[in-house]
Amino acid sequence: MVRPILSLTLAVLAAAEVYASTLALQTPRYSLKSPDATEPRSEVLKLGQETLDLTLGPSDTLKLTFQVIEETEGKGVQPHQTFLRFYDEISGEEGIQPVRVTAGGKAKFELNMARPPASLPPTSTNPLKVTLLLGSFTHSPAKFELFNLRLPESQSPPQHSEEASFHPLPEIVHTFRPEQRIPAPAASAFFAAFVFWPWFVLLGLWSFLEPRIPHLFSPYIFPFIGTLGAFEVLLFWYWVDLKLGDVLLYGSVLGAVTALAGKQALAKTAEWRLGRK
Amino acid sequence: MLSLWPLLSSLVCLAAVTYAKSSTGDSVLVVLDQSLKRDNFSIFFNGLEERGYDLTFRTPKDVQPAVIADDHPQYSHVILFAPESKSYSSDITPQSLVTLLSKNTNLLIALSSKQTPLTSLASEFSLILPPPGTPLVSHFPERDTPATVIPVNVAPGSVLSSDLPPVWFSGVPFAFGSSPLLVPFLNAPPESFAADSDRDNGADAIFDAAEKGGEGLWAGSSLGLVAGFQTRSGSRATWVGGIDIFSDEFATKELANGVKPGNQQFVAEVAAWTFQESNVLRIDEVTHHRVNETLTGEQYTINDRVVFAMRVSKFNPLSSTWEPYSEIADMQLEFTMLDPHIRTMLQPVEGDPGRYSVEFRIPDRHGVFKFVVDFKRRGWSFLESTTVVPVVPPRHDQYPRFLSPAWPYYAGAISTSIGFVLFSALWLAGDSQEPKKSKSAKSD
Repeated sequence: MVRPILSLTLAVLAAAEVYASTLALQTPRYSLKSPDATEPRSEVLKLGQETLDLTLGPSDTLKLTFQVIEETEGKGVQPHQTFLRFYDEISGEEGIQPVRVTAGGKAKFELNMARPPASLPPTSTNPLKVTLLLGSFTHSPAKFELFNLRLPESQSPPQHSEEASFHPLPEIVHTFRPEQRIPAPAASAFFAAFVFWPWFVLLGLWSFLEPRIPHLFSPYIFPFIGTLGAFEVLLFWYWVDLKLGDVLLYGSVLGAVTALAGKQALAKTAEWRLGRK
Repeated sequence: MLSLWPLLSSLVCLAAVTYAKSSTGDSVLVVLDQSLKRDNFSIFFNGLEERGYDLTFRTPKDVQPAVIADDHPQYSHVILFAPESKSYSSDITPQSLVTLLSKNTNLLIALSSKQTPLTSLASEFSLILPPPGTPLVSHFPERDTPATVIPVNVAPGSVLSSDLPPVWFSGVPFAFGSSPLLVPFLNAPPESFAADSDRDNGADAIFDAAEKGGEGLWAGSSLGLVAGFQTRSGSRATWVGGIDIFSDEFATKELANGVKPGNQQFVAEVAAWTFQESNVLRIDEVTHHRVNETLTGEQYTINDRVVFAMRVSKFNPLSSTWEPYSEIADMQLEFTMLDPHIRTMLQPVEGDPGRYSVEFRIPDRHGVFKFVVDFKRRGWSFLESTTVVPVVPPRHDQYPRFLSPAWPYYAGAISTSIGFVLFSALWLAGDSQEPKKSKSAKSD
């Protein structure tokens, strides 16, 4: 139990001593080169002030040079970790690119958009925040925000085939067949009324002829006319409401009655005709 | 004498809060490496026991108790804390672990930088591990622990509490594949990376490894340290990059500003998710019927208006019951015949907790349709329901009976009937008009 504590304390003390010196950047410079421009000027990268905004085209090259030094002695060192972190704050995409540093602390990084490194994250119109991370086992770590970089848009990263089903999918509404178009009811009503025009002709002619129906209410004739009317009523009822079975039942009963009445009526009219003759 | 009631009630509340049960069972098998001591993880294991789990311990090489026997899982949950064992007994193989998952047994697996049979299983879960021997290293923030012991901020997500303090972590990171079944719990700090060097002159090796192509360098916040995996059958597997996150040492080691780290609460919540305590949903009932009826229709006619309703419950681990849950805002219903014809939102019904319903009109295609609910969201268990229902075209007598364009025909037919009766009446009842002289002759 004592040993781990002791070794931990020693480690802490040792670390505390060594973590005195910080890493710093000396002469950080950058240069942007387009393929059509002349020799680019190398500019000094001012850190700690307002962040610089750089934009790279599809065939531009960005060159970054700096030297990593120990702040207290000014000596060049090679830290364990020298990474450039490209981070898109809005979409959360991130890419880490290690930078090769010589034993004397000199580092050079070139970003050629014609052949972009695989470590660049997928880009859109959002700017990438570029940070330099310096980490070491023997010095205090340091983080420098270099600049905001706008790169040409890349293809979005490939998604799993099922990714879409983990989010709400677009709504689908069924397009129904349009309702059948029917002509205006007024037109149908007009033509329904029009159907009755022969009746006017008939009634007109009848008024001219003045036919006589003296035997209408005779007990031989009237039942038959009544059953004929009943048949029409049955037919209308069938059309409106009744089912076939019922109609056949009622119809067969009515038919028997009609046959009897009809026989009687016809016999009577025959009698009258013969009698008149 | 001070009133004891506040103390008693707070104790009862505390007991109630700490007692949380899983929805799938309480028996847990812990496979603990020979070299690890149970006491070093007492906070975690005692926390599990307090919540009501039965823990059984064994080493990887033990034959009894078996994890699976005769294709039946023997335990509801399995914790594999054997990150450095190269060989296991015959009942723990990658295939048997996958069989366990398919039979609704949950897994909690810890990895390490050593290569074991489990590292190849991790790639089946869409996790890409770094080369063996490269643990996670971070020089930030400046601290007095070794570079492999890293305080990691817990980003807010949908599963864990949102105010967890940073946790101590030591182990390997993994890169995520694109599987949507992964639920990341803890991502690596942006300044961290996987490296096997412990001196500054290892920098060249890092650069060369990154240049080599393939996956390159494992670095940055897109790496995961603790990730869950929700399988389609409902079970959950969580992969943790290092076992020290569960240890008592890390749970009690203070952070830089003297604050207690979130390790204890973090691993308790991760275990709660893994053992199907939290974020577990199920469908209780599915009904469908025509709008003005209550009985489920055996078949529907095209253009019918139908109502589809579903009841969903969420498992409450504190009371160990399924409670109606109405907070799903984006559940969708599909009415499908080969392809979805209709996709609409299933809305929760106000005043009826747990019930979701939607009313819609059946398409004017007939065939065999399915009501499909397929609700999958990261961190939640999946809801799936399929109900087959035939849709038939209208019968001959389900069409509109009387149409306005047919009025002339109705008029004509009625007119004919009337005409027939009138004619018969006239013929039978009528008298032929004789010329005057024959009439006068008749009148005799």
